[in-house]
Amino acid sequence: MATYTVVNQETCIACGACGASAPEIFDYNDEGIAFAILDDNLGITEVPHELEEDLKDALDGCPTDSIKVSSEPFTCKSVQAG
Amino acid sequence: MKQPEVFDITIIGGGPVGLFTAFYAGMRQASVKIIESLPQLGGQLSALYPKKYIYDIAGFPKVRAKELVDQLREQMNQFEPTICLKQSVESIVRTGDGKFAITTNEETHYAKAVIITAGNGAFQPRKMNIEGVDKFGNANLHYFVQDLTQFAGKKVVVFGGGDSAVDWALMLEPIAEKVTIIHRRDKFRAHEHSVEQMKQSKVEILTPYVPVQLAGDEKIERVILTEAKSGEPLEIEVDDVLVNYGFVSSLGPIKDWGLEIKSNTIVVNSRMETNIEGIYAAGDICTYEGKVKLIASGFGEAPTAVSNAKAYIDPSAKVQPLHSTSIMGEKEKSGSAV
Repeated sequence: MATYTVVNQETCIACGACGASAPEIFDYNDEGIAFAILDDNLGITEVPHELEEDLKDALDGCPTDSIKVSSEPFTCKSVQAG
Repeated sequence: MKQPEVFDITIIGGGPVGLFTAFYAGMRQASVKIIESLPQLGGQLSALYPKKYIYDIAGFPKVRAKELVDQLREQMNQFEPTICLKQSVESIVRTGDGKFAITTNEETHYAKAVIITAGNGAFQPRKMNIEGVDKFGNANLHYFVQDLTQFAGKKVVVFGGGDSAVDWALMLEPIAEKVTIIHRRDKFRAHEHSVEQMKQSKVEILTPYVPVQLAGDEKIERVILTEAKSGEPLEIEVDDVLVNYGFVSSLGPIKDWGLEIKSNTIVVNSRMETNIEGIYAAGDICTYEGKVKLIASGFGEAPTAVSNAKAYIDPSAKVQPLHSTSIMGEKEKSGSAV
């Protein structure tokens, strides 16, 4: 099953937990706010299967539940609602 | 009925900025109380990254987060503030005599001025969400360890793969009869050194397993797991269960206190005062034009908030404090220093 991810940057607190758990999926912008590297936080590129466990770690470790994961590509609307 | 004590300054949030605020308020001879939602002080530094180095604290080329918290606590304790842990503030209301009534999930506190240093809102441990969790309440399901000795001679199961899970497993190993750590994947997120130490210890490591049910009569007697890949079930007998699934924070009821909120932060003026006279904010939770969210800037905002709160409480007090050298020198001379 395909997996997509995106960071809700409105709620991200730049704690750095996701990049530590999944450095190949998440990085930080100039303000320390996280984004998904795969497609510049659009949430439309499939997460490689071998990184899915790292993604789960990042998801579990995010203290503000800002990491969104879905089996379908995200649209702008779904990120805001998430 | 005994009249409740009214503190000069009550600080909401025991993170790094809250601790420094408490120190500074003590130095300005205010009576101080801190209210913190977790059973520990230190905020994000203790909850999220105790072992990480921080490089942008003035005077410290680098310092581990936990060490910074220890130092802040020592600095603050010179003034022996009252600390109320495991309490989340639900409301703040001004009473008839101009003071504030601060109601938590436990009790009501009274203060002349309030400084909110709540970061991103109250932290709570991320709860386990499987069958049977609600049934047992807090009987033998723990999200924190406050007293290691309560696990002496017990069979303890630890859930989680991060630093706190591994560290607690290691701390419990010499005390408990048996410690089993359960994680849903073979790789642990914890510091490599700690994981290696755990592998050398008597801690039983069960991976990749996920919990599906907690079972028992009055308390948890068995945990039922499945192997993550094959789905094969496994049942373990337990005396105590410790869950370390990290923390979640949210602004929660702060939004309902009548404060001006902008993007999940509290708007303050250059005195760190909110739109409610007598309530101040400092650190990550406050915002103003040009605000930078760093511990370093929070440490600057703390004395501003305290000094203005002091002048609010006692209009004869100056906003500009004396230098700490003079204040602390007097304190030591009078023999009251700790």
